[in-house]
Amino acid sequence: MSLQQSGIFHETYKEDMAIFQTPFIKFWMAAFMVLLILFPWINKPLNALVNTNTLYLMNLIGIYIIGAHGLNILTGFTGQISLGHGAFMGVGAYASAILTVKVGIPFWFALPLAGLITALVGMVFGIPSLRLKGLYLAIATMAAQFIIGYAMRNWSTLTGGSTGIVVSSPSFFGISLGDDRSYYYLVYTLVIATTLYTKNLTRTRPGRAFVAIRDRYLAAEVIGVNVWLYRILSFGISSFLVGIAGSLWAHYVLVVNDEAFGIWLSVQYLAMIIIGGMGSVLGGIYGAVFMTLLPILLRIPEHALTQIYPGVFAIFQSMTEGVFGLIIILFLIFEPDGLAARWHTIKNYWKLWPFSY
Amino acid sequence: MRRGILRSKWVVLATAAMLVIALGALGCAKKEEAPKEEAPKEPIVIGGIFDTTGPTSDVGKDYAVAAVDAAEYINANGGVNGRPIEIIANDYAYKPDKAVELYKTYVDQGIFLIQGWGTGDTNALKELVNRDQTVYMSASYDSGLNDPTKTPYNFYVGTSYGDAIRGAMQYVKEVGGKKVVFIYPDHPYGKNPIPAGKAMAEELGLEVGPDQFVALNATDAVSQLTNMKKFNPDWAWIGGTTASTAVIIKDAAKLGLDTKFLINVWGFDENLPKLAGEAANERAYGMAPFTFYGVDVPGMKPILEMHQAKHPDDNHLVRYTQAWVSMMVMWDALKRAETLDGPGVRAALEQVTDFDTGGLTAAPITFTGTDHRPNTTLFIYKVDSTGKQVPVKEVTLERRAEWLGQ
Repeated sequence: MSLQQSGIFHETYKEDMAIFQTPFIKFWMAAFMVLLILFPWINKPLNALVNTNTLYLMNLIGIYIIGAHGLNILTGFTGQISLGHGAFMGVGAYASAILTVKVGIPFWFALPLAGLITALVGMVFGIPSLRLKGLYLAIATMAAQFIIGYAMRNWSTLTGGSTGIVVSSPSFFGISLGDDRSYYYLVYTLVIATTLYTKNLTRTRPGRAFVAIRDRYLAAEVIGVNVWLYRILSFGISSFLVGIAGSLWAHYVLVVNDEAFGIWLSVQYLAMIIIGGMGSVLGGIYGAVFMTLLPILLRIPEHALTQIYPGVFAIFQSMTEGVFGLIIILFLIFEPDGLAARWHTIKNYWKLWPFSY
Repeated sequence: MRRGILRSKWVVLATAAMLVIALGALGCAKKEEAPKEEAPKEPIVIGGIFDTTGPTSDVGKDYAVAAVDAAEYINANGGVNGRPIEIIANDYAYKPDKAVELYKTYVDQGIFLIQGWGTGDTNALKELVNRDQTVYMSASYDSGLNDPTKTPYNFYVGTSYGDAIRGAMQYVKEVGGKKVVFIYPDHPYGKNPIPAGKAMAEELGLEVGPDQFVALNATDAVSQLTNMKKFNPDWAWIGGTTASTAVIIKDAAKLGLDTKFLINVWGFDENLPKLAGEAANERAYGMAPFTFYGVDVPGMKPILEMHQAKHPDDNHLVRYTQAWVSMMVMWDALKRAETLDGPGVRAALEQVTDFDTGGLTAAPITFTGTDHRPNTTLFIYKVDSTGKQVPVKEVTLERRAEWLGQ
């Protein structure tokens, strides 16, 4: 299906390294970009169809994609499990809220600063990764989840306690980014930037060091990779991205409180990259889309059934949760490498169709 | 070969496009049909954000059912000046991001009136609510939501948590208690009223012991109660939900504590004696802004009729009354609203003066443009020695200006 010459011949290293290699791919990527740009103007009929605000969903997906890229760098590429990314997202949200409201810094500076602060916090909680691996590290990072959560609730002078902090929408040269549509462009600019960054990171020296550590940290150390440094760096970059996601969430919902950043969010992030595909940039995107859309799509049949049997709507709603869990389990059984791998299989199948061998 | 592939690609694309169009057409067709059959006039749509599957679903389900029933009752009784109302009961499973999603969807559909649920999510939405001018009636009676200078579009019909805890302290003083302890979950619903309670205790000269944290999903509270025993308070405040309250009371009975418990609205309902058993007898006192389900007051009549007609076999809790009252106050405001939009309904709600709930609440409900506290009176119920829940007393607090939003 990919309309390319029989074999791609690269004449320069630059060509070999290009992300989008064929005109076919370039064309479809451009078409996809146009669709992305036009989406906020054509989403109205879609809203009625799926009975939700699709623009909000897109924004939420965008924010999750940035966070999922962050976790993917850490877990997918460096092989360090983190159960603290929900809390790290909270750190980004609170940092950005405190910087804009209490310190009075404009959003555009608070956003990267929130990322940096989160990176610092992430690096501190990443220190145990020097000695801990696998499940042990998962538990150690879960401690981060509880410690940060506790601080968010009880450090009232800084975080406003359980009432939280009220923040305002950012504006761009006088244009308020308060409505869903303008915020969409902000979010997706950052989604594209972080996606390209993540993709490129995997092709740089640190990126290769991450993969080396994941595959066999002892061998990596033997060939001269500074395991400790790169593990901490991985925690830093990963937390930076999640912090950016948190900051975006804060200025979108306009109130930061600790409830949104519990252990559930950490688990959700892990689920996203596992379902999407660990160690694949596309995986983070697919995972975020899947995890956000599935509950919404499941609500359509639920809604229809509720219309027919209005008295028992609670039963259908509980069933939706069950079906959600079931679908995730089935996915893990039949596609353990994630949606990205499935996409790859489909692509390869069509490449030679109908003459596959 | 290339041509063949090209053609097949177009076939796939065309099929996909047709599918999408067909689905879209189906969806549109369905949308148009539904309201036409139901009613000649277009209904006023109210967004519901309820918890029917999440951690607070034990009380949330009944609340959601009541809201739907109340809408039916309103429509059977003339609707809003002839126009029916329709409530969309959606579940958000107590997840803040899902609540935001539902809220944004409602606003996108042009809905300006919402029946919501928890403290955390209502707080998380308050800025959006304010900006979009959406009237938001919550089941969270968080005191932070009753100051119109900060949250002009938030309303609720139950006595605020802050006033409940003050009322509890006042009662402790009246019955001669001297020492109190606060037990609550580390959670917005549990924590928010505590400063108000401590200030009141200090004002009344009560001695306050060390706070104890018991999570909403706790399965035992022995260590916290052992800590508390050292201080040996006469009374303890419980700011949890029914399940965690039952755990605390059972463990208190096991440890043989003499302490009696004053429980906030979401921790004291018909399920408590069932869950706590005899341990609750003469030990559990509830702060109740609402009359319990089935008590013989005039306002209960339509509720019981609705129950008979729709689901005679179900058991209901006081939560049913709570949602019912919220819907009735909303109905009253909708009928009087000059314009059917957020600001119009808000203005009408702020004119609600001494709204008679027919005995469903401890006192009539009044909102003004400067004060969204519905009332400052509560019943105190207790579980008596036979395990029945009986009203003991009615406490009324002053409507002090400095307690607004606290």
